[in-house]
Amino acid sequence: MTRFLNIITVSLIFLFACEKEIHPDLESPANAIVIDAWLTDQDTIQNIHVTRSQPYFDNASPSKISGATVNVYDQDNNVFPFIENDSTYTWISPDGQPFGQVGNIYFLVVEVNGEQFEAVSDMGRVPPIDSINFKFEEKDAFITQDFYLAEFVSRDPEGVGDTYWIKAWKNGQLLNKPDEINVAWDAAFTEGGGVDGQVFIQPIQYAINPIDEDPDQDNEFIPPYDIGDSVYVEIHSINVHAFYFLQEVLIQTNREGGFGALFATPLANVTTNVYNTNGNSGSSVFGFFNVAAVSSAGRRLTEEVALAAQEEARNSN
Amino acid sequence: MKQILALFTLLYSSFCFGQEQYTLSGYVKDASNGETLIGSTVFIRELNGGSITNVYGFYSITLPPGDYNVEYRYVGFDTQTRPLSLTENVRMDIELQEENVELEAIVVSAEREDANVTSIEMSTAKLDIKSITKIPAFVGEVDIIKSIQLLPGVSTVGEGASGFNVRGGGVGQNLVLLDEAPVYQSSHLFGFFSVFNPDAVKDVKLYKGGIPSQYGGRLSSILDIRMKEGNSKEYDVSGGIGTVFSRLAVEGPINDKASFIVAGRRSYIDILARPFTDVLDDGAGLYFYDLTAKTNYNINEKNRVYLSGYFGRDVFKFDKRQGFDWGNRTGTLRWNHLFSDRFFSNFTAFYSNYDYAFAFGEDDRDKFRWTSKIITHDFKPEFTWFINGANELTFGGEAILYRFKPANAVSVSDGERTDISLEERKGFEGSLYVGSDHKISKKLTAQYGLRYSMFSYFGGTAYTYSDTIPGLRPEVTGAKKYDDWESIKTYHNLEPRVSLRYQLSPSSSIKASYNRMNQYIHLVSNTVAATPIDVWQPSTNNIKPQQGNQVALGYFRNFRSNLFETSIEVYHKWNKNQVDYIDGADLFINEFLEGQLLEGKGRAYGVEFYLKKTRGRFNGWMSYTLGKSELLVDGINFGRDVENRKGKWYPTRFDQRHNFKLTTNYQLTKNISLSGIFTFVSGTPTTFPTDRYVVQDYVIPMTDNRRNNFRVPDYHRLDFSVTVDNVWRGVPKKRSGKVRSGEDYLVLSVYNVYGRENPFAIYFAQGDERFLAGESVDTSASQVAILGTMVPSISYNFKF
Repeated sequence: MTRFLNIITVSLIFLFACEKEIHPDLESPANAIVIDAWLTDQDTIQNIHVTRSQPYFDNASPSKISGATVNVYDQDNNVFPFIENDSTYTWISPDGQPFGQVGNIYFLVVEVNGEQFEAVSDMGRVPPIDSINFKFEEKDAFITQDFYLAEFVSRDPEGVGDTYWIKAWKNGQLLNKPDEINVAWDAAFTEGGGVDGQVFIQPIQYAINPIDEDPDQDNEFIPPYDIGDSVYVEIHSINVHAFYFLQEVLIQTNREGGFGALFATPLANVTTNVYNTNGNSGSSVFGFFNVAAVSSAGRRLTEEVALAAQEEARNSN
Repeated sequence: MKQILALFTLLYSSFCFGQEQYTLSGYVKDASNGETLIGSTVFIRELNGGSITNVYGFYSITLPPGDYNVEYRYVGFDTQTRPLSLTENVRMDIELQEENVELEAIVVSAEREDANVTSIEMSTAKLDIKSITKIPAFVGEVDIIKSIQLLPGVSTVGEGASGFNVRGGGVGQNLVLLDEAPVYQSSHLFGFFSVFNPDAVKDVKLYKGGIPSQYGGRLSSILDIRMKEGNSKEYDVSGGIGTVFSRLAVEGPINDKASFIVAGRRSYIDILARPFTDVLDDGAGLYFYDLTAKTNYNINEKNRVYLSGYFGRDVFKFDKRQGFDWGNRTGTLRWNHLFSDRFFSNFTAFYSNYDYAFAFGEDDRDKFRWTSKIITHDFKPEFTWFINGANELTFGGEAILYRFKPANAVSVSDGERTDISLEERKGFEGSLYVGSDHKISKKLTAQYGLRYSMFSYFGGTAYTYSDTIPGLRPEVTGAKKYDDWESIKTYHNLEPRVSLRYQLSPSSSIKASYNRMNQYIHLVSNTVAATPIDVWQPSTNNIKPQQGNQVALGYFRNFRSNLFETSIEVYHKWNKNQVDYIDGADLFINEFLEGQLLEGKGRAYGVEFYLKKTRGRFNGWMSYTLGKSELLVDGINFGRDVENRKGKWYPTRFDQRHNFKLTTNYQLTKNISLSGIFTFVSGTPTTFPTDRYVVQDYVIPMTDNRRNNFRVPDYHRLDFSVTVDNVWRGVPKKRSGKVRSGEDYLVLSVYNVYGRENPFAIYFAQGDERFLAGESVDTSASQVAILGTMVPSISYNFKF
């Protein structure tokens, strides 16, 4: 829920915080094993990355650990082998069918240097996206020209405990800034929300709008969507631990500078659902395993759609 | 009630002396405006002893019959001496005239000159509003919370952080009282300004330790702010035009028995900006305001009632439908009643409401609105029995009803309404206390007491959680519904309080104190600085009350007839059931908030040095604190013990090893004074990562499971101000030579004179731009300064 804190920091922009890059000495790195295994039912090719962590200021892309054995099993002990290639470990569908089945449980087993790492994930259900709409908005204090906001309409199925990760793309570019992580527990924010079987609540629907500062104008933002732009949305079903994982990633990676520093939470490790079968005595491991069912929809904001949105805005006022 | 009192009197008189005694009592007031004077000395010359007035300006001394000379003293006022032939009970209300001494502007303490040595109080600090107005202030706005941060043992994590930290305690461990009503959020615009209008404040007192038994409910400190009653003699208009606020206060008599004061402030950047921009036309705005009002009615010599209120709000709106706001509202009704001239009582009832709200969505078919509230109702009877010159007994109680409404939240998506409100949580806090001020011998004075406190969490749903490895998120294992008034969990505690003073010589003393405090409501805040949207959480079946113990020892010594006051105090605190949070805790609109909290132990210790020059053209004070504040919580700072996650001690975010402040004032000419403040504070702790790793193209920092293992660089700053008195008012007119009525002063100030970019925090993050899958992403460390430049300002203040 850092989104509320983000909003209140916006109100401080008129004051003059300043910051500079520094290069402090850090404690020595752990070079821990990292397993990045997010499988979906979208494709006939799936990848699992097995890498190591690196010193915090080392900006190189992480490189693959070679020689690992990577397999995924389902509850019926069917095996899905991931074969090492140049950059990662890959499964290719033998029958042209995409990966996974909603309702199944999957087990990840990775062997590295004689140690075994395991994780488990179910594959939850996902609701379809019924529509994507654009709303016309007049210019305001922060966006100094008329603009459009996009929303996706989808209804969480009845039954509590469905968790989702909603990803959005604007003109083919994934909205992957840390603060653009958009997760839902049923149709709302948290486990105890009790909002089940309903349309996703408004802040989740609208989180597919990129809020980017205007590079030419301080304290102003560019329109989230304008005529000609397109939006594409995917809902991924995620396991409950993945919900918390992503929420923690959001907290740990979305470090606001300036006044955001006032409302920063302590730096801490993000949880993982991968564990070393050797307990405390083995090497430490980070990363995550999730198997998702995905629904998707996209729409372009054409002149026609824009005119209709303007018309609707006029009528509602 | 009467019967109980009669019984009490009977009991006590049986071991009082047989000799007949009479009582001298009354109120001490300021002759210029009729304001009662808190803490003024009533000194019986023949006995070389006396009493001081209480927070309502009342005093009572019981003596054997005889002829006495009674001195009424208050610093900054002329002493009045009254001969008294005591043959019966005497009521003497006194009005003191303000001293007319030039070249002595700053009056740091209002008490008798050697009060710091002779009074029983230790670990307390009193600031009167006159001295606060002379201190250089950020953007020239006189600020009570900022002023108390110049005292030993009081600190802040940095600019913009709301609240204050006392002796290594958290912001939520301070009880801030405005005319006895709690103020949950003491800041405007986060921490840049405090909510108390200096025009309406009479007296500020901070208890850091040795806390008397009538106060309770927070671990670290009590900040007791008393409002003016309003001038009972004539109408007064005072105000100021500053860089951020404009202020106006009106006070005056209603009739010969009643007076009032109304004081308001509003920020006005938005108003000044309006002609230059059209973005504010759509209802957008940023402003904050507060209104303080008080009236009192003197029914007769034995009864007086007061009604006071505070309404303040910060508003930030993107447009007319979207934005957020927060504010406090408090109302206090008090009745002072004299059962006899030795038996003073006060009954207080108050209401306090702190709330905040978020709203998004541009029309009614798509919107989100979230409000959060904490409502407090309180009734507090308090009795003081002035038994004799050597003994004063205070007793009373308090009943508080809390209603927490953490989320009243509604989302409308395409016309479909979803209610994500959380259940109201309720708590009752009750206490009974008795305390005695006892002059045991000429040299030894004791203040001792006992407070019984209890808390009941009642009504609604109680959850139970599974046991987990510490620091991991527990699962909800059960939920049980309770009736509206049915108790879920009740806690009882006894809080002993003792303070001793031993007078070594007329100018030196040793003081020692012990106090235990319990805190039943908790500020849930996982961020570096407290925010206005932090929630308060009652103790429940899962969250135990915080308990704190403190011992303090001090040596007080004055030099050159009280020209220099010095003190050294050491303190040690040990606390249990301190609140911390699991990693990745979700604290907003979370029904299972209790599962996000961890509990552990806390400890703090330190030594405080204080030196003050009280008089002369050059005066001021210096404070230095060497301190340490730490927590021990399983699940945090466990290092390599990944399996059991047993915690080790780690410094709190507000742990500061050295804290030095120098406040000076120099009277250059009759009308011009110069003031300066220098601050040096050790860097606060923070956590640095070791590694980074990539999952789903997010670059995630990794730590070695240690908390606050590094420190940001030290903080230091110089502020400076020039105050010019009688710029226009109080000066003779050119033509007629007549002096313009009233007074005024102009303050020019510079905050952060040498423009140091004082580090507030260091953070580690990837860049702010989007990246392509598989692309390498840069991570870096940045050091943030909240105010990295010097900030000049000007303000004009008047009174007529």
